[in-house]
Amino acid sequence: MSKILRINMSDLGHKWETLPKKYETLAGRAFTSAVIHDEVDPTCHPLREKNKFVIAPGLLAGTMAPSSGRLSVGGKSPLTGGIKEANAGGLTATRLGYLDLRGVIIEGAPPAETKDWYSIYFGKDKCEVKKTNDYAGMGLYELIGKIWKDYPNKPGIIGCGIAGQRLHKGAGVFGNNVENTDPGRYAGRGGLGAVLGSKRIIAIISDASDGSRPEAKDKDRFEKGRKAFKDALENHALTGRLNNEKGEPYGALKNYGTNVLQNILNEAGALPTRGFRTGRFEDAAKISGEAVHDLIDKTRKKFGNKAEGKYGHACHPGCVIACSNVVPYEKTGKAQVSPLEYETAWAFGTNLGIGVLHDVAEMNRICNDLGLDTIDAGNAIAMFMESGLIDFGDGPAAIELLKKGYNSESAEGALVCSGALTAGETLGVSRIPVVKGQALPAYDPRAIRGIGVTYATTTMGADHTAGYTIAAEIVGIKGTVTDPKAIDKAGLSRTFQATTAYIDSTGYCLFIAFCILDDDSGFGGMLDTVNGFLGKDIDVGEYGMAVLKNERAFNKGAGFTAKDGRLPEFFHTEPLPPHNVVFEVSDEEIDAVYKDM
Amino acid sequence: MKILAKLYATLRKYAPPDNELGEFFEVEFNGATISDLIEQLGFTQEQARIVFVNDSQTSDLLSTLSNGDRVVMFPPVGGG
Ligand code: SF4
Repeated sequence: MSKILRINMSDLGHKWETLPKKYETLAGRAFTSAVIHDEVDPTCHPLREKNKFVIAPGLLAGTMAPSSGRLSVGGKSPLTGGIKEANAGGLTATRLGYLDLRGVIIEGAPPAETKDWYSIYFGKDKCEVKKTNDYAGMGLYELIGKIWKDYPNKPGIIGCGIAGQRLHKGAGVFGNNVENTDPGRYAGRGGLGAVLGSKRIIAIISDASDGSRPEAKDKDRFEKGRKAFKDALENHALTGRLNNEKGEPYGALKNYGTNVLQNILNEAGALPTRGFRTGRFEDAAKISGEAVHDLIDKTRKKFGNKAEGKYGHACHPGCVIACSNVVPYEKTGKAQVSPLEYETAWAFGTNLGIGVLHDVAEMNRICNDLGLDTIDAGNAIAMFMESGLIDFGDGPAAIELLKKGYNSESAEGALVCSGALTAGETLGVSRIPVVKGQALPAYDPRAIRGIGVTYATTTMGADHTAGYTIAAEIVGIKGTVTDPKAIDKAGLSRTFQATTAYIDSTGYCLFIAFCILDDDSGFGGMLDTVNGFLGKDIDVGEYGMAVLKNERAFNKGAGFTAKDGRLPEFFHTEPLPPHNVVFEVSDEEIDAVYKDM
Repeated sequence: MKILAKLYATLRKYAPPDNELGEFFEVEFNGATISDLIEQLGFTQEQARIVFVNDSQTSDLLSTLSNGDRVVMFPPVGGG
C-alpha cells in the first residue's frame, strides 16, 4: 500500500500516512497539484510557512517501463504567484518508487530567527531531519560529492543551492545525475528552489537500499505494453537507437539531444535572437546539438578513454531515449557540464547573441552550481543587455555577471538570480518576455502561434512543456507535416495541455509524445503499462483535464484572471524578422481555450 | 540547374564531406521536384521529414524546384 511522508519543518517532526482513497490513481504532477489545491491557501505568501513543497515520483517510477522515472515537485511559485509543477529526471523518482512513496509533503517552516540549515534523509521506515549547516553556501558540484561520501548508498538528492538559500525567485530545484557527477537534473522553473530555502532545507536525500521494485497489479498487461512501447521508442527516428544497421547515426535525440532543435527553429525563422528581436541567429549552428555531437566525437578521438564527453546519456535509470549529454572541454576532454539542453543553449547563446559553445556551456555550469533555472537566468542577463549595461554577444561579460550570483553583497548578482521580470523592471526595460512573471523559452510566439497560446493560457507561466504544440506546428508529428496556418491554435493548445498533464503524472518523459503520436502500437503499449500498473483503465483526456482543473482553481483563488493570460505588448506590435509577423491570436481566441473552466 | 541544399542532423552524412554545418552546398540538379532532389542526394522521403524551400516550410514533395532555390531538410527532430 503506497504511503505519503509528511514532514513539518515548524517542529522538525514527521509522520507516515496511508495514501487516501481519493489520491489512489494520482501520481507525479496530478499528485503535487492535488495536494497544493487541497492543502495550500492560494493567497499565502509563497516564501512563508503556509506554503508547502510537494515531491512526487511519476506513477511508474522505479518500474521497468522505459523512460518512466521522472519526478514532479510542486508548490505555490514565488516567481508567478500561482501553482507550479516542475519536472526532472535524476535518481530521486526511482528511489521514491522503490520505497513505495507516492509523495513527500513538506510543510511549515522553522521560526524566523532560525539561522540553522537542515537536510532531510529518508529510506525504508526511517526519516530524519538533520541539522546540516556545513552544507550551506556550498557550490552544488561539491555538495553532491560530499553527500555521497556522507551517505554511501548512492542516494537520490534534490535540493536548493545558494540562489534558493537566499530566496531568489530564479532558483530551481537541483537533482543529482545517475553518476553523481553533476547536479544538473533540474526541476528548474518557477523559483521552487526558494521555497525550499524558505523552509531552511538544503538537501532531500532518498535512500532506497532496502526498497524493492514496484509491481504492477496486472502484470501480464503491463509486460505486454512495456515491450510494445519499448520497441516503438527504439524504432522511431526521433526517439530511437543510436545507430542504424550500417553504424550511421539514427535516433535524433540520442545523437544530438534536444538541442537538435536549434537549427530547425533557426531555419523556421522562429528562434528568438538577442532578446526576441529576430527569428534567426547567424551562429545557431555553432551551439547546436550537431556541434555538441561533433565536439564529443573530436575529443573522443583525441583523448581516447580519458574523454568524458557523451551523447546518448540517460537522465535517469532506464531511459531508452537518452537525450542527455555530457559536454566536454575542447582542450582537455574533461566534463564541463551535463546536460546542455536546447532551452539552455538558447537562453545563454542565441538569446544573448553568444555563438561560442564553451561560453554557453560555462554559464550552464555556473547555474547548475548556484542552483539557478537557466531559462530565467538567461533572460535576466538579456535584460542587462537590453538596458545597455553589457553588450549582446559579450560572452566573458555575461559569465562575469552570472558569477556575481555567488557574492551575497552584490546587487547585480541578486538581480541575475531573481528572474527576467525583476531584473527587467529594475533596469528600466519595457520589452520583458514573461507571462505571469515567468520568462519565455526558446520558441517565438509570433512565428509559432500555438505555443504562444500555451504560454498565455497555462497555469504555469510561460512554459513550452505545458502544451508542446511545436510537435504539430513545426515538427509535423502525426504522419505528415501539418500546415501551420490551418491549425486551430486554441484547440491544439488545450489538447496538448491535457495530454501533457497526464504524461507528467505517469512518470514518463514528455518526449515519448513524439513517438506515441506517430505510432499507434507504441501509444497502445504505453496505455497498457499505465492501466496494467493500476489494474484499472483511466482516460487520458479526463485525467489530464482533472489536473488542469485543480491548477486553474488554485490560480483563480490566488487572484488570477483572464488578463494574466496575455503575452507582453511587444509581441503584438513588433514584427519578427525574417517573416515579419506579429502575434495575431486575439484575446477572445485565447480566452476560448478554457472558457468552460 | 543549380540548387542550394542544406542538411541537418542524421541527414548530414549525405552532404559533401567538406560542407560546414549550417552552410549551403551546391547541387547540379538533374530532376524537377523536391522528391527528385531527395533521391539524387541519396536518402528517402521518409527521412526528409521537414523541408523548407526558400524559407517556407512545405509538405508537398512533388512541387517543382527552380534554378537557385534554397532547400533545407531535416529528419524527424524534436525535444524541448
Ligand atoms: S528522453 Fe531525455 S529528458 Fe526524457 S527521460 Fe530520457 S534522458 Fe531524460
